[in-house]
Amino acid sequence: MAHPTKVEPSFLHRLAKHSPESENWAGIREQSLKDLNTTNFPHRKIEEWRFTDLKPFTRTDFVPLSEADTLPATDIEQYYIPESDRSRLVFINGTFQEKYSSIGGLGKGVTFGNLSDFADHDAVEEYLNKLVNYEEDVFVPFNGLMFEDGAFIHLEKGANAEAPIQVLNLYTDSKQAYIATPRMLVVAEEESDVTIIEDHIGLSENTYMTVPVCEVKAKQKAHIHHVRIQRDSRSALHVSRPIAYVEKNAEYHSYTITLGAKLSRNEPRVVQEDEEVDFTLDGLVLIDGDQIADTHSVMDHRFSHANSHQLHKVVVNGKAHSIFNGKIFVRRDAQKIDSFQENRNLLLSEDGLVNTKPQLEIFADDVLCSHGATIGQLDPEEVFYLQSRGMTEEKAKEVLTYAFALETIENMKVESVHQLLIDEVYRYTKANSVAKVTA
Amino acid sequence: MLELKDLHVEVEGEGIEILKGVNLKVKKGEIHAIMGPNGSGKSTLSKVVAGHPEYEVTKGDILFEGESILELDPDERAHKGVFLAFQYPVEVPGVTNNTLLRESYNTIAASMGREELDPLEFEDYIKDKLDLVQMDPEFLNRSVNTGFSGGEKKRNEIFQMAVLQPKLSLLDETDSGLDIDALKIVSNGINQLHGEDDAVVLITHYQRLLNYITPDYVHVMMGGKIVKSGEKELALELEEKGYDWLEDLATVNGEAK
Ligand SMILES: Nc1ncnc2c1ncn2[C@@H]1O[C@H](COP(=O)(O)OP(=O)(O)OP(=O)(O)O)[C@@H](O)[C@H]1O
Ligand SMILES: [Mg+2]
Repeated sequence: MAHPTKVEPSFLHRLAKHSPESENWAGIREQSLKDLNTTNFPHRKIEEWRFTDLKPFTRTDFVPLSEADTLPATDIEQYYIPESDRSRLVFINGTFQEKYSSIGGLGKGVTFGNLSDFADHDAVEEYLNKLVNYEEDVFVPFNGLMFEDGAFIHLEKGANAEAPIQVLNLYTDSKQAYIATPRMLVVAEEESDVTIIEDHIGLSENTYMTVPVCEVKAKQKAHIHHVRIQRDSRSALHVSRPIAYVEKNAEYHSYTITLGAKLSRNEPRVVQEDEEVDFTLDGLVLIDGDQIADTHSVMDHRFSHANSHQLHKVVVNGKAHSIFNGKIFVRRDAQKIDSFQENRNLLLSEDGLVNTKPQLEIFADDVLCSHGATIGQLDPEEVFYLQSRGMTEEKAKEVLTYAFALETIENMKVESVHQLLIDEVYRYTKANSVAKVTA
Repeated sequence: MLELKDLHVEVEGEGIEILKGVNLKVKKGEIHAIMGPNGSGKSTLSKVVAGHPEYEVTKGDILFEGESILELDPDERAHKGVFLAFQYPVEVPGVTNNTLLRESYNTIAASMGREELDPLEFEDYIKDKLDLVQMDPEFLNRSVNTGFSGGEKKRNEIFQMAVLQPKLSLLDETDSGLDIDALKIVSNGINQLHGEDDAVVLITHYQRLLNYITPDYVHVMMGGKIVKSGEKELALELEEKGYDWLEDLATVNGEAK
């Protein structure tokens, strides 16, 4: 690819000079360096970044992770989900933690562990860094230059993971702002089945940046259920690139819950690789204060007979700002596509802000695509109705906000995660029920 | 129980006067019917008594059990025993009937000094009430009014009345949208719920309802005022003559309607 414009070095380019040498990932380093050095750091003049200003972070004095005095993580057991007591991978600031992890196994054909221990695995050689296709992007090559560890999940043909696999990413306190680069590769061979719970948790309120890159391959008839929870520090910058490729008769269902970070930019993508696939890209965003949550998603329908579903629900309070851009591509030969996309925003405050842009690019003719976006306040008639039945105004608003948000987490298959998210929604609505209703 | 004194009401912030001096006295044990043409202010009256924030009382007072409730929020009025069955019951997706009712029952019970019920006790308590309006228990697990048919919504309002046991029930066109059998069931329910310690204000367009529920008084509302009051027979007279013959009464004091 030619890049005619001159590249202005950014803090990422500068920090990338501290790229740790890696025997395992030498090839990826080389490619990433090339990509990074030919790509500019994004700014608001680029359409895709119009509403999201990274300036506050470009002015932050980030140091390489190796130079940050990070504090140890404590009490991390509270984040373990009981269903995954034999299937947990723990990372602190992106580095694998063998002593907190549990790789006791999930039966025959299910392999998971630290990516750097599986550098020679066929699936790693075949797919790592090969699936992650983001054009004009500095974050993926940056990750490629910095990561060493990562989560690797592989299912052999017909393998069925008996329990969900928890991938727990913890970020510790530090005086210096650091950048973590978590990495993940999931390869589900034919007819296999797995549930993955990916969690990002800031243990303190410090400033850091995390750039998770996740590649997923669902081969024929494989089923993947992928929950992503983002609970980063309220001062953090979270830029994630999760991408999934779905083969014939396979299913990929992902649910992203955005609760934390000062600024998050989430760019989930699903690419259909053959006919007869089914995928979900749901999201729930609950933000307040001065949080910014930006989701730019792509659902790429390349072949006939696909069912795709995207329900993106957002609650905004305070001065928070939500951005949604959902691209749906239906290529010329992709007939009989049934695609649903809806972005619903609940604005609890006058100062909150929502930008939403569903974007359909359809080149086939036999296609059923429904899409829509709504922005609304709590309905004063609903509040009055509940009040007339004895609920206080606060309680009524809390109940209504809770009901709005809950719909997206109904599909959680893992009970403790379902409960955890109900608690998170409850905590949010409780904290925000004092917000004013604007008629 | 309820006394409206020269009640003037405007739409909040818009300066449109809707109620233009309503006087009404409802005593314990009584049933009052309010009739009147479309747009005369009947629903506004019921919503104002329930405390809807959209309306502003510019003059006059609302007394409940002898005390002004003008400054009370809708929930505080509910706690005192005011209940409004909505002309257009609101759909509340995501909140189940059961959740709403138990929450409501317990907050109201607490403030009235009645005993609160745990989920099991509540389940028992609610059974009779379901029977009273012959409602399918399935409705308990559905979101409040969401996707209910017009008649089901009305029945659900009376079911809520049965559960909450209010002192004053304002029933705004509960009969509209009910089929003949449902009308009988719902009226019968209202009759059974009504006793000498509570009062009912029925808003209706149809004399038919009053065949099932016998009001002590009938009032005619026109142009934001009660222009005529009488007993049961007044409803029959209205059925026969319509409202035209009362037109003059609506413009007494030289005020246009
Ligand atoms: N929020 C509002 N803003 C503007 N006008 C209003 C508002 N609420 C009520 N009105 C007006 O006040 C008048 C009385 O309305 P109301 O709903 O009380 O009538 P009603 O007697 O219940 O009529 P119906 O028999 O059709 O139910 C109507 O002209 C209505 O348009
Ligand atoms: Mg009305």
